[in-house]
Formats: sequence, structure tokens, C-alpha cells
Amino acid sequence: MSFLHDLQFGDKMITLMAALVLVLQISMVGQRWLMTNIRIFAIQSFLLAAISCTIAFFNQANHLYVAALLTLILKAFVLPLILGRVVESVGIRQEIEPLINVPLSILISGGLTLVGYVVAQSFYHPEETSTPAALGHNTLAIAIALFLIGFFTTLNRRKALTQVLGLLSMENGLFLAAISLMYGMPLVVELGIFFDVLLAVMVLGILVYRIGETFDSMDVSKLRRLRG
Amino acid sequence: MLLLWLLLVPLAASPLAFFLRRRPTMEVVNLSAFAVVLGLAAGLGSQVLRRGPVSFWGGFLYADALSALIVFLTAFVALVCSIYAVGYFRHDEQNTVFLEKEDVLGEIAGQKLRKYYSLMPLFVFSMLLVALANNLGVLWVAIEGTTLASVFLVTFYGRETSLEAAWKYAIIGGVGLSMALFGTILAYYAAHQIEGIETLAGLNWSVLVGNAARLDKSTMRLAFILILLGYGTKAGIAPMHTWKPDAYSEAPVPVAVMLAAGVLNCALYGLVRFYILTSKCLGPQFASQLLIVFGLLSMGVAVPFVLVQRSFRRLLAYSSIDHCGIMVLALGFGGPLGILGLFLHMTFHAVTKPLLFFCAGNVQQHLNTDLFRKAKGGLIHSMPWTGAAFLMAGLAVTGSPPFSLFQSEFIILRAAFGQGHFVPAILFVAFLVAIFSGFLMHIANLVLGPDPGLPPAEICRWKKYSVLGIASVIIVLGFWIPAPLFKLIQGAADVVAGGR
Repeated sequence: MSFLHDLQFGDKMITLMAALVLVLQISMVGQRWLMTNIRIFAIQSFLLAAISCTIAFFNQANHLYVAALLTLILKAFVLPLILGRVVESVGIRQEIEPLINVPLSILISGGLTLVGYVVAQSFYHPEETSTPAALGHNTLAIAIALFLIGFFTTLNRRKALTQVLGLLSMENGLFLAAISLMYGMPLVVELGIFFDVLLAVMVLGILVYRIGETFDSMDVSKLRRLRG
Repeated sequence: MLLLWLLLVPLAASPLAFFLRRRPTMEVVNLSAFAVVLGLAAGLGSQVLRRGPVSFWGGFLYADALSALIVFLTAFVALVCSIYAVGYFRHDEQNTVFLEKEDVLGEIAGQKLRKYYSLMPLFVFSMLLVALANNLGVLWVAIEGTTLASVFLVTFYGRETSLEAAWKYAIIGGVGLSMALFGTILAYYAAHQIEGIETLAGLNWSVLVGNAARLDKSTMRLAFILILLGYGTKAGIAPMHTWKPDAYSEAPVPVAVMLAAGVLNCALYGLVRFYILTSKCLGPQFASQLLIVFGLLSMGVAVPFVLVQRSFRRLLAYSSIDHCGIMVLALGFGGPLGILGLFLHMTFHAVTKPLLFFCAGNVQQHLNTDLFRKAKGGLIHSMPWTGAAFLMAGLAVTGSPPFSLFQSEFIILRAAFGQGHFVPAILFVAFLVAIFSGFLMHIANLVLGPDPGLPPAEICRWKKYSVLGIASVIIVLGFWIPAPLFKLIQGAADVVAGGR
């Protein structure tokens, strides 16, 4: 089992999983079904948990195991469950209608990924890549790309629930940035953030439910009575 | 120990109100909790003035003069609001405003009140945690907490428009705060690279401020931009201000006051903390320029919307965007005078804004509308006290002498000229004049004029005394600032100046 202690191997594993996360994010932009979107988010969160486990293992950063476990429970199971329940109770399962059409959206996502790489360049120190401290640094570009694509999704989608998914993608990007830059935030802060995310999804879920009830739709472009 | 009690009292008041259910008991719980909090906040202020920064729990909670000032202002606004809220919600209940389809025996009204009285302490709790947290990550968690605690307060009336307002508030706030979190992560990364900072304390303010000069410059630059966008969204700086008029006009008046005079200060507090780090690391120039641009933009955006405004609740929101711009501008002008002007303005604004909202609330409850068009003017005949107070508050909030906001705006203007920012200073004056004229035109049209023949308004004791009480505080503050309060403001300015 010697490869388990080989840092090169760990680095490659992390890069592979991070790349998968990015692919999932772009496929989220590309496809049109709400439930599939929620499932992709669950898989993405599962991969994030795996990445943080790997980083924790190769750097002996034990507090990251806690963050990984919480990500697994919360983001891969609990949140998709809550969101799924909201979709069922509102009774809307139709397609997502983005403001910008799918091919162009994917093109924009590609551009945003490039932006992510450009921004991450300034944090990238190639001379350190062989030391354990630099493990996973090349995932930063992907993290920034996730953040930007999440931001774009939030702006681009009209359905209330998909805006929530966009917000969650942004949060996933931030989590990836934190673990790839410095093995996560201090544990108190990490716990606080998880707590906030859970609460936020519940609050937004209830809000989506009530919007769906009142307007018979989750289309936020119908929310346009307040002007000026 | 004081710090812990400050947080525990509102935290305990929330479930207490939730389980006690009966309206008079919930009112008593809220009032007494916020009265105790105000007492504790005053105690904290005097302790900080006498002995310097206090910390608790191994540095988890930390308070210097800056935090003590924010805590004191938040506690003051919370108490004033809870006094007004008693009268406000009783009036709503009597007039069956809680419109729902099948409200049998006022059960839904009871639930709504219960929601208000149990969420409000949580809202205040998270605001106090913002000011008392030592760790900048916990500060972020607390600011996000203020959003989460207040979303359902914004939807209080359950109208379609209030759902819309709450949705914008939650989503725009959420996106903005993710940017702030990114900025916080980058600041942590900058601290992480310095040898000798242990991982756990890496985000602690008390540790960071000592090492600010050694932080990585390019990282901090990016971090500050993200923080400005993030906490700026929460404070309502243009162009991220769009949630503000909706949330302020749809929320019940006490909640709107907490948003305008409480959350605004807390978000600016987060911005100021990062400003100190950034100006220590990069020199004040970089942050200054950004702040001046955003401050002027906010004031400029507010001008046309104030001039052609149709609803007086939304008018107040644009006034709040304007004042937020003034405070950001003051921070941008910098210098000892600019910073002093910022905290004076923050204090005076937190005292003046509640009166304006209370008067608007009284008028809205009397007329059942918040549109100027339907109000027809001449309110001074049917509600003399509120009308007079409204006119006075309008004069005070637009910064006319002798009211105190004039002094702080004058100090900020002097700071601008002192630092050589001539063009921004001229724009500042121009925007102030435009907003002054627009605001007074609207309020004067509403309050003065011939008697439209409305019946005299019934204003219950609670509403009347909270309006008169805070009006007298404003008049007194125009001529005399209590020495301890001024010392606290100066202390807060010294915290910022010490970071240079």
C-alpha cells in the first residue's frame, strides 16, 4: 500500500476529483430538469467530501475529517432531501427556463472557468508543489470557477429553487477554495458556516413553498410588483 | 462575563416568548430583555472606556470601543423598537390588519405575533454577536444569521408583495454574503502564510491586527474588494441596494427600523474591521478610492428616487441608502476627522431613523396606505403630534441645523477638504442639497396643507411615548452629547486610527 503515502498520487487524485466537480457543475448548467439538478448537486457534494478526506489524509489535518463528514451528511443527503421535498410539495417538476439559452450558457461557463484559472495564477507558487503544504493548490482555479458559475446560475435562472441551487454551488466553490488553500477554515467557523447553510436552505425552502402556493409558480420573474 | 450575558439574555428571551404565547407576557419578555441588554451595553461601554478591550472565553468574544459603540447603538434601537412595537401591533390587531383567508378567533394573528416576539430577540442576538465576535469568520456567520433571522420578519404580513420583498432580500443578501465569505477566506489565507500564527487563532481580530502589515498584499487587495461588495450588499450600498426599498416598505415598522438602524451598522462594522486591516497592509490610498466611488454612487442613486418617490415608506429606504453612502464616503475620506465624522454620523443616524419610521408607521396605520397620492396632505390636523414629529424628523434626517446630523455631515465635509478630495466634496454637497429638497417637499406635502377632514387619529400611549421620547432625545443630542458617549465614539475612531 505504498502508493497511499505517495504525495504525487494524492495530488493526482485530488485534481481528478476536482475536475469531476467542475464537469458536474457545467453539466448542471447544461441540463434542464430540476430533480436532476438536485441529484447532480448531491454527487458534487459527495466528491467534495472525498476531496477533503484525501487532503486530510495526506496532510494529517484531522479537523478536515469533521468537515468532510458534515459535508457528506448535510450537503450530499440532507439538503437534497429538503430540496426534493420542496419540489414535491409545490408540485412543480417542469423544466428550468434559463434566461440565456443552454449552448451560450455553457460557453459562458467555459469563459468563467478561464477567469478562474487567471485569478488563481496569482496564488500559485510552482516551486512549492512537491511539499505537502502545496497539495491541492491547483484545485483553487476550479474552486473560483465553481463560485463564478454558481453566481452566473443564480442570475440566469428564473425558477426560485434553481437560484437556491446556484447559491449552494457558490458555497461549494468557497468550501473547495478553503480546503485547497489552507485545509479549511478553523473548525468553529466551519461549523458556523454549515449551520448557516442548513438554516438558509430551510428558510429559502419555506419561502419557495409559500411563493409556489401564492403565485402558483416558482417563477421569480412573476415577482415584479415592487418597483421604484 | 458581561460579554456572555449580553448574548445570553436575547438568546433566552426568544424561546421564552415562544413558549409563553400570551401577548402581554411576550411583550413584557421582549421589553425587559432589551432593557437589560441596554443596561449591559452601557456597562460594557464604561468598562471598555476604563480598562481598554475586554475578551472572554479564551478570546472567542472580544470588545473594544468600536464593538462597544455598535453594541450600545443596537441595544438602544432594539429597546426603542420594542416599546413602539407594543403599540404598533396592538393597533394592527384591533384593526384586523392580519388578513388571512380563514382567521377564526384571531388564531393566525396570535401566531404572527408569536413569530415576531420570538424572532426579534434572535435577530438582536445575531447583531450583538456581529459586534462581539473576535473571529472574523464568526463575524460572517453572525451577519448571515441576521439575514436568516429576519427573512420571516419581512414576510410578517404574508402579502404577495412581502413574499417578493423577502425573496429579493434573502437571495441578494445570500449572493452578497458569499462574496464576503470569499473575502474572509482570502484574509485567512493571507494570515495563514505568516509564520507564527497558529491555525485556530488565524482569523482572530486581536491576532490579525498586530500582524496586518505582514499580510500578503495582492491577496488582501482582492479580499477587500470582495468584502466591500459583500458587506456592502448587506449595508445597502449602490448598486447592490435593490432589496432595500422592498424589504423596508414591506416589513412591519419595528423590523424595518432594526434593518435600517441596526443591520446597517453591523454590516458597516464588518467593513470597517477589514478596512483597518487593508489600510494597515496596503496603505489607506487603495481602500479610500474604492470607498469614495461606492459612497458617491450610493448617494447619487438615491437622489432621483427620492425626488420622484410615490410611497413614503420607500422614501425612507432611499434615505437609508443615502446615509449608508455618506458613512462609506466618510470612511473613504479618512483622516482622524473623517473617521470621527463616520462614528458621529452612525450614532446620530441610529437615533434619528427610528423616529422617522415611527412617524411613517403611525401615518400608514392611520391612512391604511403608504402612497403620497392617496394621503392628500394636511395630516397635521388629524394627527398633530405625529405630524409635527414627522416634519422635525424629516428636517433632522436631511441634516439641517440645529439637529445633530448637520454636525456630523459638516465634519465629514471638512475632512473631505482637509484630505484634498475637492471633487467628491462638491458632489457630496450637491447630493445632500438635492436629497434635502426632495425629502422636505414630500414630507411637507404630506403633513402640511388644508384640513382634508379626516377624523382625529387614535394613537395609543405606547406609540405616543416612543415618538415623543425619541424626539426629545434627538433635540437634546443636537445641543449636547453626553461625555461618556462622546468618549466612546472617540474611542471607536481611535481603534480605526490606531490601525494605520
